Amino acid sequence: MIETKLLFPGVTLRCCRDTRFKQGAMSIQFLRPMAKEESAMNALLPAVLLRGTRNHPDLKTITEHLDALYGASVNPLVRRIGDYQTTGLYLGFMDDRFALPGDRVLEPVLDFAGEVLLEPLLENGTFLSSFVEGEKKNLIATIESDLNDKRIYAMGKLLRVMCQGDPFGLPRLGEKEDVSAIGPEALYDHYKKVLRESPVEIFYVGSAAPEAVAELLKPMFTSLQREPVTLAPQTPLRGGTGRDVVETMEVSQGKLCLGYVTPITNRDPEFPAMQVFNALFGAGMTSKLFQNVREKKSLCYSIGSAYYGTKGIVTVSAGIDFDKEAETREEVEKQLAACRNGFITEEELTAAKEALLSSLRATADSLSALEGYYATAALSGLALSREQYMAAVEKVTLRDAVEAAKTVKPHTSYFLRGGNP
Amino acid sequence: MRKFDYPELDECVYREELPNGLHVAVIPRKGFTKSLAYFVTDYGSIHRDFSLDGKDYHAPAGVAHFLEHKMFDLPGRDVSAEFAALGASTNAFTSYDMTAYYFSTTGNFQKCLRLLLEFVSTPYFTDESVEKERGIIDQEIGMDLDTPDSAVFQNLTEAMYENHPVRVPVLGNEESIREITPQVLYDCHRAFYTPGNMILCVIGDVDPETVSHIAREVLGDERKSVGVKKNIWQEAMTCPKAYTEDAMEVAMPMFDLAFKCEPLGKGSAAIREEMVADLAAEALFGESSQLYLKLYEEGVIDTSFGGGFETVDGCAMLLCSGDSEEPETIRNGILDQARRLCEGGIPEESFLRMKRSALGRRIRNLDSFDATCFRVCAYHFADFDYFRFPEVYRSIEAGEILDFLNRVVTPERCSLSVIKPLEKENAQ
Repeated sequence: MIETKLLFPGVTLRCCRDTRFKQGAMSIQFLRPMAKEESAMNALLPAVLLRGTRNHPDLKTITEHLDALYGASVNPLVRRIGDYQTTGLYLGFMDDRFALPGDRVLEPVLDFAGEVLLEPLLENGTFLSSFVEGEKKNLIATIESDLNDKRIYAMGKLLRVMCQGDPFGLPRLGEKEDVSAIGPEALYDHYKKVLRESPVEIFYVGSAAPEAVAELLKPMFTSLQREPVTLAPQTPLRGGTGRDVVETMEVSQGKLCLGYVTPITNRDPEFPAMQVFNALFGAGMTSKLFQNVREKKSLCYSIGSAYYGTKGIVTVSAGIDFDKEAETREEVEKQLAACRNGFITEEELTAAKEALLSSLRATADSLSALEGYYATAALSGLALSREQYMAAVEKVTLRDAVEAAKTVKPHTSYFLRGGNP
Repeated sequence: MRKFDYPELDECVYREELPNGLHVAVIPRKGFTKSLAYFVTDYGSIHRDFSLDGKDYHAPAGVAHFLEHKMFDLPGRDVSAEFAALGASTNAFTSYDMTAYYFSTTGNFQKCLRLLLEFVSTPYFTDESVEKERGIIDQEIGMDLDTPDSAVFQNLTEAMYENHPVRVPVLGNEESIREITPQVLYDCHRAFYTPGNMILCVIGDVDPETVSHIAREVLGDERKSVGVKKNIWQEAMTCPKAYTEDAMEVAMPMFDLAFKCEPLGKGSAAIREEMVADLAAEALFGESSQLYLKLYEEGVIDTSFGGGFETVDGCAMLLCSGDSEEPETIRNGILDQARRLCEGGIPEESFLRMKRSALGRRIRNLDSFDATCFRVCAYHFADFDYFRFPEVYRSIEAGEILDFLNRVVTPERCSLSVIKPLEKENAQ
């Protein structure tokens, strides 16, 4: 159901033709290595491009144009996928069949995306400094706003401490000081480089035929002088010793984040077993962490685990009272030990597998889930198709999940608490 | 069941009212693997005063939410685990005026539906389980207190309203939840979890008749009495406080700015008023409004800025929020802009473009199962068929928008709530 076309060398189009939806979506991602030298520029670039084009030189003309296209949206898209960072656009638009007779939506939206990417408004051969300065301020505000959600903030801190020396420790949107240092010329040079060198991943879901979508996209790339480079494959987390970090802040609830490592990544045959382990251990309302730490011990409202298959990292995060740190750690360790020792019921295993399978099945029912899966899976190093992945999950046995659990080793912890330092 | 067609939206809905009073709505979506069912009661955190069978009740703050947590207990059974065993996931949420329970699944739909109807209609509370839940909800309250978005809105409602219980958080507070006992939960359940006060809305590739059949089988045909809400909240159309400020661990000041509006009634007139208000919000400070563009280009607001019309049983407000160093500039800009629009009018061309954009976004939103179920339920409680929104949009005229702005966007109706960063060096 996914048709993949190589439009040009280094430009991949993945199409999911689906007439069930009332809208279409497209992501256009330029692939970059995740690196401190450029992560802030990659994050800033699409926001600057969206400030004005030659034909639509300001926000007013841009928003009026999109309003006339039945409220289409064109937004910056910046992802961190393991060792890579992507920069580009995410488009959402009503399906042509709901437009007034004679009106089209897909074609003008893609035209506009091309305009945003390739025909920015320039001044003396470079980006307008007012656009760049304005968007730098916004980007810094966005980076800083992580602090407003203590769970996100604490998890960011954990990964940063845990992945020192690994690209995965770099924040998705770059560092504040690197954003501050960007000038219009440097950003423009980088933009030219991105257009010239970066592999491009385009994902489309909607009612149009893949051939038609390909034809609409081709003009975007024919005029470009392209010398696409190949990025190095994804790598597992690079060593480093763990640490236990405590930070104090004026908060009423503590956030405990625990980081674990496993040699199993999404390139390994044990990956589906690892996912099943994660579901058993801490993902969702039937997991061991939720059932024991929350339901039995009432230690927290929120608790959960996550597995980053690209890097081989498992994290646990919980919102708890400050004086419950030791007790929570002990309880989490106890539940992990239960998984390692095979204290898993048949019901728990089935529930974990079903939850995974159900979410993989339901992926086909949502535009954003389809985009999220197909526009990132291949990049993250996952070699399985969705169907192969599901078949592999079905085959995971209790023993496989236990073996996966045994590979999980504590690495780093981060505790955000109230009171004085 | 009766079928209603909406060819313009490529939708149809099957509806029926069961003998027990339950409203059932099924939105078929051919070819989808996932199905979603919402079982919702027209009862939320603000409905604390009511009478049932001639007796008056006054419930502690936070009871609707507490009840939502405790419904997942059945004698000797774990509802979440049962859903999980069926490959489904279940959850619930409580708002000011609704409590919703739902599951989504890619298989075993009928079993899941039975389980949903069963657990929501079966109250089972013990002293021990209520006590244990208090610990969990205490943590949820703690989390909420640390969430600046919640705090800024909480402070706003306290500044804007004198009597309406929207001033009290949905979760209640540490003290009020100490007053909750199994008996309180039983009373509230009996008053509001009767089929006559509820809607079942299902979306997916399912057979409508099966849905209504299962609902009748599980819930029975008896029509029970429904609690009578005492919504006697008198509110003047002015705000007791025009400004409120607090400090928290945030990076940049954040604000909620609102204008008090007349509460909506029910039926198509109310929905029209709501859509007028939505369009008024677009015209005033939406992304293509003059004001938004000016403030964005001047760096006063960023992409965190947004807003619209918010309505809760017995109160309504035009609200915008975001991060900004200059919330007062935004307030003054909005007041000025409303005056300018009212004097200069809205050009026909931009008004049509605005309506087209709003309509397009609503149509796109129908792809979301959750958003669609939620809207169908909320609009049902307001006595309106949600899928009729295109005709409402078409009939709205620019003059109505201006009347609304003229009436509502005034200094007396305005209140601004700001959360500033703590005055100290931020921790590293």
